[in-house]
Parts: sequence; structure tokens; C-alpha cells
Amino acid sequence: MSSKNRYSFLFLVLSFALLLFMLVHLFSGQLEINLSDFCKSILEFDKSNTSQLIAREFRIPRMITALLAGAGLSLAGLLMQTLFNNPLAGPYVLGINTGSSLFVAASMMLGFSFFITDAGLLLTAVVGAIVFGFIILVFSLFVRSHVALLLIGLMLGSFTGAIITAIQATTSAQQLKAFTMWTMGSLQQTRFDQLPVFLFIFFTAVILTLFLIKPLNALVLGERSTEILGFNLKRLRVLTILVTAILSGVITAFCGPIAFVGLAVPNMTKMLFKTTSQHILLFGTMLMGSLFLLFVDTIIQLCENHFLLPLNVFTSIIGAPIIIFIIIKRMA
Amino acid sequence: MIEIRDGKIGYKKVLIQIENIQLQSGSIHALIGANGAGKSTLLSSLTGEIELLDGEVLIAQKNLKTISDRVRSRLIAFVESSFSGVEFLALEDYVLLGRSPYTDTFGRNTREDKRIANEAISLFGLDKYRNTYTSKLSDGERQLAAIARAIAQDTPIILLDEPTAFLDYGNRKRLIAELKKIASEKTKCILFSTHDIELCIEEQIPVLLIDQETQQLIQSNELMSKTDILLKGFNLIS
Repeated sequence: MSSKNRYSFLFLVLSFALLLFMLVHLFSGQLEINLSDFCKSILEFDKSNTSQLIAREFRIPRMITALLAGAGLSLAGLLMQTLFNNPLAGPYVLGINTGSSLFVAASMMLGFSFFITDAGLLLTAVVGAIVFGFIILVFSLFVRSHVALLLIGLMLGSFTGAIITAIQATTSAQQLKAFTMWTMGSLQQTRFDQLPVFLFIFFTAVILTLFLIKPLNALVLGERSTEILGFNLKRLRVLTILVTAILSGVITAFCGPIAFVGLAVPNMTKMLFKTTSQHILLFGTMLMGSLFLLFVDTIIQLCENHFLLPLNVFTSIIGAPIIIFIIIKRMA
Repeated sequence: MIEIRDGKIGYKKVLIQIENIQLQSGSIHALIGANGAGKSTLLSSLTGEIELLDGEVLIAQKNLKTISDRVRSRLIAFVESSFSGVEFLALEDYVLLGRSPYTDTFGRNTREDKRIANEAISLFGLDKYRNTYTSKLSDGERQLAAIARAIAQDTPIILLDEPTAFLDYGNRKRLIAELKKIASEKTKCILFSTHDIELCIEEQIPVLLIDQETQQLIQSNELMSKTDILLKGFNLIS
């Protein structure tokens, strides 16, 4: 099969799978809800109908959140891996999420009321991600080794984690609970009325990314050759980190810090598509990311009757071995 | 095509002094000098990566400093001394990246881009590797691929930093002969740094020599003898 046909085939299969997973996810909660209730809950919503209420307030937002968070985190991971030319990069392991966590922790628990609003939470999470994004960008300019950058990111995470713990120690039980819930990572916190904002920011970031494809494609040649091909490396770095931080900041604000998705999914996508073309990888990664989170969250939904598993338990169980696999395969 | 006037070249400290050097299109030159004499620095000055300490570089009669990144990328191609290959990056896609200066905002390749890239691939007889990942090519093939990318970039000037450094003897000789052919057939202005003095003499490649004593860049119209090169460039009496 020529590579072009192969890509078309893969995209077809993945899109079909995504549609299937979306439906399975929607219909896999504890309470049975039929298709007409889903349609009505959007088109002619009746508050007094429990099925419609659950569909509108829980199922649909949760499914869309899985879709966006999976795609967005994976895209953020792909951008970082391409920018740093490092398969071990990702918004979680390099501490971008930690930046959001720190800023959210500080604002939630040190008690500024503005930050308890949606807009406040979003803004703090994004600003935190941007700040930490630029910290890791500066480190990346001095560190050549892939593993060293990963270690710095993880240490940044530990360091920030310690500060967060210190903040937690000095805070009231109620504020602590809200924050702890948030850090578990969950796709259930997004409300129906928050979806437009989430969708808007997500698609803005994706559209911005389209304009970064061309220089990011060239980066596979190394930074020097990229500059000689006429690209402005400084601008590319800043824009890429900004888009990455917006994506992961917004997702972190809505879902809490989700581990490893951003690192694992782009690597799986590269192995599946066998290309370095950002045109292909961009869409492939987003599809795979949505599929991945929908899959994981469907399992969580199915288990809910018996026990409640935090999202990060699953993503870590799958993500951590993938990192080890990459290190052994590429670095050993 | 390339002209350097009253140039002082180096990082902070002057490494090479150049009164006036002119390299015409259709010509090839080998840049020869001892380690640390400033070969790479000179090449970086010609790509615009570092500024001259004094004087100016003219590319097609225009001061290099005033040329925008985009225009420069259509004038000057550069081949690094080694390209280690990338997993999942097929040779054809690699060479197509050389078309970046001409593609649209999203970097989409036209049929014309593909034609030019494949022509460059054929030039080096790499056709059968078109779909091979660059990580799977041999060192020699990869070096040729890198030059094919520079050819696909379709610039009047091609600079190469020690293109023969990681090649065996056969590949070195072939590569230098190939570069010479390209310069005259495609009327390109080619400058490559190298330590392969004998091969350059055999192939009758004119030499730009960095004089170790005076730091002058010597360009002679006649072919320089090996004795001259060794004496001036390396302080060796043979």
C-alpha cells in the first residue's frame, strides 16, 4: 500500500472508531438513557425529565470533555516533542501542568474570590502553564540531552508539588477538598454551559497550530537547517510554547492535571502512521488522543457502580510503561 | 555571486582577514585551512548566522545583512557536515523539505515541488531509496541526500561544511567530482570546506586557503600546488 493510501485508510478507521467510541461512551453510564432523550436534551430541553437532565448535565459534557481533553493534550504533547526534538516531552512530564496546578492552588487556597469563578480559574491555569512553559523553554536552550530535559521537568514538578503541599498545609479543610478533587483529574467537572468556552479556546489553538505546521515540519532537520531554510526560530519557539500552554492550561483548568496522555499518544501515533509529517501527525494525534481518553473514561464509567477510579490511575498505568519503552528503545 | 569586502571574520576575536574575495556562479571552491583556522566560522558568516566583525558580504551585489530570511533562503543553501537520519522520515520527504522557501503558509508541496525534488534525487542515483527512511540509509547515501535537498532548494549558492568528513575514500572522490559537475552544469556557486587536499588537487578544484601565519584568505587564479597549500595552510614543509 502506498503511504498516501495507508494514511487515508488509517484516518478512515480512526474516524469510524471515534464515532463508535463517542456513542459507546454516551450510552455507558449507570442509568440507561435512550437516543431521543439525548437529542431532546439539546434541542428541546425539559428540566423536569431526569433522563434529559442527566444527558445534558453529565453525559454530553463528559463525552465532549474527553474528546477535547484527549485531542488537546495529545496535540500539546506533539508540539512539545517536535519543538524540543524529544520523544520524551509532554505537558505533564515537563511540568507545564504543574505550573497550572501551582497557580490554581495558590489562588484557590490563598483565597482570592475572583479566582473561584470559571474565568478566574481558566486564567490562572493558563498563566501558570505559560510561565512554566517558558521556564522549560529556557532550560531546553541549555540542555541537549533528551533524558536530562525530562529529569528537569520531573524535578520542576517535584519542587512545585512541595510548594503546593506547603500551601495545602496552611489551608482550610473545605478549600483543601475542592483542590484535592481537582488534582485527581476528572472529565466530570465540566458543565454544559462551559462547553462553548472550552470548544472556542480549543479550536482557536488548533487553528493557530495549523500556521505552525510548516516550520515545525522543518525542525526535524535540526535548528540550524531550519533557520537556514528561512524560518524564525525564536518566534517559532515562543508561539509553540504559547499554543501548548493555552491548550494544556485550559484542559487542566477544566479537568485537573491529566498524566502522560500528552507524552504517550503522539508516540503511539508516530508508530502507527510511520511519518514525521506534521500535517498527518497533527490530525492523527488528535484523533488518537480523543480515542484514548474516551476509551479510558468508558472503562471508568462502567466500573462506577463498583468503585470510583480516578482518571490518572489509568493514564499512568498506560503512560508510564510507554515512557520506559521509549527510553529503552531509543536511548539504550 | 559572493563577494567579501574588507572582511574581518570571527567570534569576538578575528580569525580570518579578507581584502576582497569574489566567487562567481558556475564556480566551485574548496575551503582549506587548519583546525580552528575559521573554516566553519567563515561559512556561518556567509549564511548570515554570524555577523562580520568588519567589512561586508555581498550576495548578488546586495549586502547580506539587508537580505530578509525569506529571500536569503532562496539564495543560499547549506549542507551540514553530517545528517544522522530520522526515523520515519522518507528520503523523498526529506528532500522535499528543501522546497520550504517556496511552499505556501501550510507548507503544502505542489506537483512542481515534487518534480524538482525527484529530479534532485535522480541526480545522485538515489531513486530506489525514495521511500526509504533516512535513518536506514548509509552515511554516504545520507550525505548525497543532504546535497540533493540543497539542490532542491534551488539556490544559486550552495555552501557545505566538510561534506566528506564521514565518508570512505570512494565516496569522497565521487562526491567531490559530483559537486564539480553540479557547479558547472547547473551554474551554481559552490563552496565547501574540506581536509581532502589530495582529492581537490586530483579533481582540479580551485582552493581558498586560510593562511595560518597572516590569517589572510588566499584565492589564487591558478591551481595551487600541494606544497604551497601545506606550507601556507599548515606550516608544513613537504
